[in-house]
Amino acid sequence: MSDVLLFKDIDEPGLSTLPVYESRGGYSALRKALAMTHGEVLSELEASGLRGRGGAGFQMGKKVSFLPQGSMEKYLVCNADESEPGTFKDRELMQKNPHMLIEGIVIASYAAGAERSFIYIRGEYELQADVLDAALAEAREAGYIGEKILGADHSLSLVLHRGAGAYICGEETALLDSLEGKRGNPRLKPPFPANQGLYRGPTLINNVETLSTVPAITLMGGENYAKLGVQTSTGTKLVSVSGHVQRPGNYEVELGIPSRELIYDLAGGPPERREVKCWFPGGSSAPVLTAADLDVPYEFDSLAKAGSMLGSGAIIVVDDSTPIVDLALKVAKFYRHESCGKCTPCREGTTWTVKMLERIDSGEATPMDLDIMASVQDHIIGNCLCVLGDAMAMPIGSMIAKFRPEFEDHIEAARLRNGMAAPSAPANEPLGQGVL
Amino acid sequence: MPRPEHRAITFTIDGRDVEAPENTMLVDAAKRGDVEIPVFCYEPKLGNPVGACRMCLVEIEGIGKLQTGCSTPVKDGMVVHTQTERVKEAQRSVVEFLLINHPLDCPVCDKGGECPLQDISFGWGGGISRFVEPKRHFVKPLELSPLIAIDRERCILCYRCVRFSQEISEDYQLVLLERGAESFVSTFDGHPYVAPFSGNIIELCPVGALTSRAYRFRARPWDIEDAGSVCTLCPAQCNVTLTVRDERVMRVLARDHAEVDDGWLCDRGRFAYPALDDGAHAGHNGHVREPPGVPLELAHGVHAGMRVTEPLVRDGGELRRVSWERALAEATAGLKRAGARTGALAGGGASNEEGMLLARLMREALGSANVDSRVGGELPLELQRALAEPRLQAKVSDLEFAHAVLLLDCEPLLDAPVLDLRLRKGVRRHGMKLERISGADVRALSETAARLAQEGEELVILFSERFTAGPDGAERARALLEIAATLSLDQVDGAGLLEIPATANGRGLREAGMLSNAGPGLREVERAGLDTRAMAEALGRGELSALYLLQVDPLSARDPFATCAPEDSTWHVALERASTVVAHATFLTDGVHGHATVVFPAESYAEKEGTVTHPDGRIQRVRQAVAHAGTTRAEWRVLAELSERLGRDLGVRSEKLASQQLFDAVPFYAGLTLEQIGGRGVRWQERAQASAYTQGQA
Repeated sequence: MSDVLLFKDIDEPGLSTLPVYESRGGYSALRKALAMTHGEVLSELEASGLRGRGGAGFQMGKKVSFLPQGSMEKYLVCNADESEPGTFKDRELMQKNPHMLIEGIVIASYAAGAERSFIYIRGEYELQADVLDAALAEAREAGYIGEKILGADHSLSLVLHRGAGAYICGEETALLDSLEGKRGNPRLKPPFPANQGLYRGPTLINNVETLSTVPAITLMGGENYAKLGVQTSTGTKLVSVSGHVQRPGNYEVELGIPSRELIYDLAGGPPERREVKCWFPGGSSAPVLTAADLDVPYEFDSLAKAGSMLGSGAIIVVDDSTPIVDLALKVAKFYRHESCGKCTPCREGTTWTVKMLERIDSGEATPMDLDIMASVQDHIIGNCLCVLGDAMAMPIGSMIAKFRPEFEDHIEAARLRNGMAAPSAPANEPLGQGVL
Repeated sequence: MPRPEHRAITFTIDGRDVEAPENTMLVDAAKRGDVEIPVFCYEPKLGNPVGACRMCLVEIEGIGKLQTGCSTPVKDGMVVHTQTERVKEAQRSVVEFLLINHPLDCPVCDKGGECPLQDISFGWGGGISRFVEPKRHFVKPLELSPLIAIDRERCILCYRCVRFSQEISEDYQLVLLERGAESFVSTFDGHPYVAPFSGNIIELCPVGALTSRAYRFRARPWDIEDAGSVCTLCPAQCNVTLTVRDERVMRVLARDHAEVDDGWLCDRGRFAYPALDDGAHAGHNGHVREPPGVPLELAHGVHAGMRVTEPLVRDGGELRRVSWERALAEATAGLKRAGARTGALAGGGASNEEGMLLARLMREALGSANVDSRVGGELPLELQRALAEPRLQAKVSDLEFAHAVLLLDCEPLLDAPVLDLRLRKGVRRHGMKLERISGADVRALSETAARLAQEGEELVILFSERFTAGPDGAERARALLEIAATLSLDQVDGAGLLEIPATANGRGLREAGMLSNAGPGLREVERAGLDTRAMAEALGRGELSALYLLQVDPLSARDPFATCAPEDSTWHVALERASTVVAHATFLTDGVHGHATVVFPAESYAEKEGTVTHPDGRIQRVRQAVAHAGTTRAEWRVLAELSERLGRDLGVRSEKLASQQLFDAVPFYAGLTLEQIGGRGVRWQERAQASAYTQGQA
């Protein structure tokens, strides 16, 4: 493939070290950027149409331009808390090509006017953090980070901070709280981080992949980058494909290719004699799609139109050997465990959903419970402080909607298996309905 | 520092056009259109909204998702809906979510009947639950502290108590442990939550999760009455609501006043209420309140520490219960014998009226000018007046918005605890600069003040009475006035001086005429008398023979008159040698127990009617909430009766007349009425009559 940007040279031995990275043209983008004005670098980013690769898909250039002008202390934070189930693209980037991320951070900080930056990396990424630490030492030594970088009028400190193992800390405001040394709970927005972020200063937060793309954009120019992909989803994307496929892994593709190509041609499709039952196109928090949706172009808008989302760019394929109730329970339990507990619908809704699914699984439920469960998901979606609640409610809601007969069969089968009596209608109407 | 400005805007809520100050949060703005948006976590006193409970979701035209009304500032032309099916469904669902883990043990819950969760469930909930699974369980109730019980099953995790601990009292003890539905409130180290303001979290809790251990199971909301008053246990004079059941104070709650207490109470003010009422209803002895475990004979006798509820007279070396007639006769005889050789001190929770009447009794009936309410002795009148000059007076809210505050010989946490929270608020939310200094070194003081003044023109110097006490007091006062003049503190709104007197109503007593060198309104008197120190010495030398103590005990370790007294035995000797000591006391403290010849039972503030003056000049009403303990009579009545027996009718026939006399006597209180003072008080410096202050001086 000619359009490989992020994975160019990815398997080059020693790419994580500065000499090899430099020998492959590394840090030339930084030199180019520092010779331009802040505004020029920013224009290239805006022209590229690059959308955030962390999950929300917000245009990066626009995000940078939201930072207030002025001499106040500004921050750049790289979100390396890659915790969405099924997502492992940032891990490979950081492990094999840490300097590209560092170069991207320095260029982005130059465009944003930030002089302090942080990489918040998830605690479990020990190896990657060690690799980054070594790369940071090299970059500091070589003068790519620090005072007056390469003699230009730009200084930047860059600190690597390891998280302590909470999914919620991948949410940008919870990440900021955690970085400040507090309990990692999401903050109310607004104010958005661009206005009041880290230590209440204007803060640019971007994902590892987003920032790693910045050197390529700087070198090739924003307009050229925008020619890749499709109109509203420009460029290339790393896609983590996992689950029931024969060749799981990270694939860099131009946005807009048919999803089928990714799942079947690149990842090898499901094992023999198995069929795709459903798939998450963007991590476990994306509503599931079915085999009928395999021809949807893999890009932001088409996936949204199909009722799901590109999210973090992680496809999880589930084949027909997996009961949908098991899948739902697995997903719900994850989000229940990771809910921070700050807001009501997420805290109580995730717990309740797990309890209902457990009853469904053990045959102690009725089809009415499916209606209740679906309405609980509706009550979570859009009503929470951050999107963690939605991250459970959207996939669970989509599973109930798309696989309801299987849920019903599951309940009935489990009931018979456990020798329980058929559910009967309650003897009395619940109090309150008739009275009020 | 700029105060928040309020530009009026118009927005539409549920089809009605409503005017509200711009940027007020929607839930507050909605109230102006008689629309209630339910909330749990929102409490403006706690600072910025957190949007955690999601109860206040409303629909705003032009915004796709439902928005939290607690965190959405209202803008001109905003169109808000709170009654659409979409909003109602969201609110019903939040109530349903909150109740799935709530035990619904309302019938045995202290909060039942005054519980926001109950009210909101009734008003906005669906009335049924679809939740059939087992609820979350915790061991309960637990002692969060000796004062507070915590029931974690009832907790709806609204974060209010945690935010109070983290961001208001800044004791940083309360945190949420674990996460998700397993979250619970705890101290970070599991130790009891002991802090000076801990009781506020009970009032903040919107459910029955945090309850007062003293109040637990003592009354239901339908058993009680509320009585507004002012706590006079310290100069902060916080506004309170007393919960009264069967003539007993069962609880003390804050009565939010932004210019006084900001809605908070210290734990002393909140929990000291067992001292406020008779207690006889619960006890068996009918007259005195004794700590549990006191032997019966001791409880029936007269002993140190007991609550005085009947007149006592020293007979054969011991205090004995007597009739009012006998006590009044004894006091009259003793005071008549001493005549002008009598001294009088007022302190404690004595009201303005009581101070004025005692001063009149002394000056008019006994011909004695020896009256004082300053613990450290006299300050030359021109300095006393200059320090209280209206234009130089800072008010409580200035402590929050000033550019800088200098604490001068002052420890707010001890001198007027609730001000500690106000200063923390200033520092935390407005970036106020705060420094403290001892007044001993006058040069260091003026340098520090000058340096702080560079932070901005609004500088407040908060000083305690200790600063101007003692032999060097006058010199220090002069230096402070010079600093104030140099920095033009009297020219700047929001800048100035604020003195915390040693006793709760120190300012009011001075203004009512209880000073050795000044009459009512700080007016010069023809003949100055002895001040506190001089009185003690004169008693010791036998030059004075009688002492009148209005809620003062110079030998009681907790009385400011004792703590500010010299270390020597002056007061011991003085009381030893005095032939007559008349005392008004609520409790039989050491000096009164050992030396008083006549003891009149004094009213606690819950039994009292009258006015007091806040350190910043706010005249506030103390209102009677419970019946007098035992045969206690109002102090004004006792003072008037004594004066009459001593040959001078003060013309006071009711507490209202006493207040009227006070307003007539103090030029800058002129024209005040009790109705004007009402429940929020009146700051006399803000009235036109304040000009009488300066005129009186000339």
